[in-house]
Amino acid sequence: MNNQRCGSFEYPAPLIYLGLKLLDKLRYKNYQIAITLIIGGVVLALWKPFVLIEGLQVAGLYASIALPMALILGIVGIINLAHGDFMMFGAYFAYWFTVYTGADPLVAIFPVSLGLFLIGMATYRGTIKYMHGAPELIQLLLTFGISIVLQQLANLFWTSQPVSIHVGYASASATIGTFTFGTYGFVYVAAAVILFIGLFHFLRHTRIGQAALATGQNPTGAKLVGINIDRIYLLIFSISIALVGVMSVLFLTRHSIFPHVGGIFTLKSFCLAAMAGLGNLTGILWASLILGLGESFVKSFMGYAGWADIIFFVLIIVVIMVGSYRRRVK
Amino acid sequence: MKNWRYIAYTVIIAIAILFPFYTGTYLQHTATAILIYLSLALSWDMLLRTGQMSFGIAGFFGIGGYAAALTHLKWGIDPLLSIILGGIAAFFIAFLLGLVVLHLRGMYFAIVTLALAEIFRVIVRNLHSVTGGPEGSVLPSAIFGGDPSKIYWLILAITITTILVSEVFQKTRIYFATTSIRNDELVAKSSGIDIFKYLIFVFAITSAIQGIIGSSYAHQYAFVTPEETFHIHFTLLPMAMCLLGGMYTTMGPVVGALVLGTIADYLKLQLPYGHLLVYGVVIIIVILFMPRGIVGTVRERLERGK
Repeated sequence: MNNQRCGSFEYPAPLIYLGLKLLDKLRYKNYQIAITLIIGGVVLALWKPFVLIEGLQVAGLYASIALPMALILGIVGIINLAHGDFMMFGAYFAYWFTVYTGADPLVAIFPVSLGLFLIGMATYRGTIKYMHGAPELIQLLLTFGISIVLQQLANLFWTSQPVSIHVGYASASATIGTFTFGTYGFVYVAAAVILFIGLFHFLRHTRIGQAALATGQNPTGAKLVGINIDRIYLLIFSISIALVGVMSVLFLTRHSIFPHVGGIFTLKSFCLAAMAGLGNLTGILWASLILGLGESFVKSFMGYAGWADIIFFVLIIVVIMVGSYRRRVK
Repeated sequence: MKNWRYIAYTVIIAIAILFPFYTGTYLQHTATAILIYLSLALSWDMLLRTGQMSFGIAGFFGIGGYAAALTHLKWGIDPLLSIILGGIAAFFIAFLLGLVVLHLRGMYFAIVTLALAEIFRVIVRNLHSVTGGPEGSVLPSAIFGGDPSKIYWLILAITITTILVSEVFQKTRIYFATTSIRNDELVAKSSGIDIFKYLIFVFAITSAIQGIIGSSYAHQYAFVTPEETFHIHFTLLPMAMCLLGGMYTTMGPVVGALVLGTIADYLKLQLPYGHLLVYGVVIIIVILFMPRGIVGTVRERLERGK
């Protein structure tokens, strides 16, 4: 009898407990953002499903380009204003490779990422190595100089005419009911997820990754426990540039490229990294979802497509201003 | 000794003023372009002396250009007056934005000014009814009927004014305020310097200079488009010139602009695509090997020689 009473009273308890736990989690920023995004996504799916699909694909592209930048920012501690230009350079390599060999552009992933790995290595050895401890503005100017050099080299080799590669599978589409949408764009979402999981595993569960994480947190401490931080910086910088190279090939299959194509991705990646906070890889995914969905949402209104560019710039200013306000209040 | 210096300045200014009498149209045109970049470089350096690096030169340059072109086009205001109006527009926009933006420091300020310049461009491109949209607006005729020597003198007058303003900034108490803000803000604050006031003042003045140069540029070519008037060159070239010459002085940007402007103009004839490569290379090499620029290095050598 007693047992039975207990049982009947205990039955709803786990549910309430779960509910309370969820409410409790809401105190954390990531959960709030996640819930807002899920609700927004459901509303969008019912109202404008195309915006949701398009936004997701764009967000995948942004996130996968921003993740390597966040890696450099978090561990090497350099704001790489040449980030997007490395991508542009990789895309031109891939274009070149495809035109010469006639192979599928996706095959170019291997030579291009290897090539960019070496370029990243040379860039670090030649310039960025000497910038540790230099004033922030000087670092910014230096990477700005690298970005100009890359842009102008591309201009010199390939002129400023936009080029593109057409592949059949890039225009694949699927139909649900009366609603048709392109499916190839989901390759960016997949790339972002794979990149994220891979980086997470690398940083947490491999010796080099742990050393890199330690270096990012405290270079002096890392040096004291015997980590060769110069080697780590070199490795992380080159790996990040190589990852950008992988993304550049995927970028080429869908978009046309020209020497200035990278600039906007540098800014967007920096904005996402600033939104997420230093070294917060998970935050990059949320931030890119907000940016991607917001942009496609504005683009979906007739006649306002031109204003979609402004979203991102307003977002970057708001993020930085709010951040500075918080710092001042503290 | 001091008199020699003034005589030298007078001779240089006289040569600069008489320049159009003994050169052709092409050289006058090139010299005008170099003077435009020289003033931009100097105005950028004036803000840099407070420790704030702006990436938004092109933004205020473009605002000035559009303000001058549109007031001339829509209301028929005299071109010279509209150039001043362009400067005033840039001054007020910089003042209002500065109230918010100048709370930021270092890279955050740099990135926000870069974003602001882009926002100006997007707004101008999308306000079809006012600005003419992506195609821009065409003025009925260039200023002074397109006479290159008169345009050269106009730009020269603006450049000399900019140099004088920069010297005023270097010789009065503004110099001590900006230098101490750059070196240590806390010390500056405890010495009784109103940091925010000085930052806003310098930011608005330098933006007004950039606006005036932008408006004379718009009148020189008699058209404005979002892509051309807000071009990233107007941010990038002055920075490279200033770095090459040496930061935090009046002499540095002037020397840097003359040297780099001449080299770049020569290279433009050799390499139609990618002649801007030299700017990137100069930025990297100067930062790595000659952080004090030409003027700083030469001065150091001279002092060591004594």
